[in-house]
Amino acid sequence: MFYALGFLAQAGHEAKPGGLPEIDIMPHRIHLGGMEIGSSVLVGWLVTALLVLLLLCLRGRIRRFADKPKGLQNFLEMIVESVYNFARGKVGHNADFVAPMVLTLMGYVAVATLVELFGLPPATEDLSCTLALGLTTFVLVNVTALRQFGLKTRIRRLASPNAMVLPIRILTDCVAPISMALRLFANVLVGGIIMKLIYAVMPYVLPAVLSVYFNLIHVAIQTFVFGMLTLNYISEATE
Amino acid sequence: MSVLGMIAIAAAIAALTGVGAALGMSHATAKAVESIARQPEASGKVNSSLMFGLIMMETTAIYGLFVAILLIFVLPGSIAP
Repeated sequence: MFYALGFLAQAGHEAKPGGLPEIDIMPHRIHLGGMEIGSSVLVGWLVTALLVLLLLCLRGRIRRFADKPKGLQNFLEMIVESVYNFARGKVGHNADFVAPMVLTLMGYVAVATLVELFGLPPATEDLSCTLALGLTTFVLVNVTALRQFGLKTRIRRLASPNAMVLPIRILTDCVAPISMALRLFANVLVGGIIMKLIYAVMPYVLPAVLSVYFNLIHVAIQTFVFGMLTLNYISEATE
Repeated sequence: MSVLGMIAIAAAIAALTGVGAALGMSHATAKAVESIARQPEASGKVNSSLMFGLIMMETTAIYGLFVAILLIFVLPGSIAP
């Protein structure tokens, strides 16, 4: 395990001094217990374990939620409330069903991308990971719509003006997760490539300034965009 | 002209999608600012629809960039020298 982690950390920094950095947009392959897996799988597991541990710690820290929140509980309630309010503004009464999932997805995307700060290759730099996230969104959208309307009404609503548009609407719905996956993947990949190029060109002062944007603000924007697009697709399917 | 040069030109053409995305984004932002100036109390709704539109436009630019990156980093390796 630690061997694999060391390999991952090494894979993150392959810049040769002098020449252009080694840029590889294919995911790194590592051997682990006789299997060849992508590095994003390992990082994904790591992120999941990290999030679960963090949540267990929070659960241990706050035994019972007090009526008057203070400190940590206040902070947590602020995050959860803001996501719930945002979801309520988009999808109305479905927010109670949807918001926990959206917050989970956003948390996973944020942490899986921010591991770049610790020298690991981000899990979202692999198209398989983002495609899995996109498919999760797809399932969420359809489950929410089916839960609200049922199968018959859902199909009737997809063919709403006339039956001619049904294939087009289905195609649009099926392309949405791929579009989300490609968007997240390409954004993270491009941010990484730009940072590698900057490190190669001028490794002294400039990266400190620019990595605040490319590694922090960019990630925050992409996380927000992912959550917002999920909510938008849901509101499109259910309104 | 070498194959590598052709790939470079292809990547440059693919990156031209940024022109369309920039035009669309500038147009949308200009209209949004105009409508906020006309009706400041609607700024919340205008902002959220503007954000959605901007994301969609940015996606086209990202696709162009992605195609350029694929051309630069993947294509030379897959062509037999």
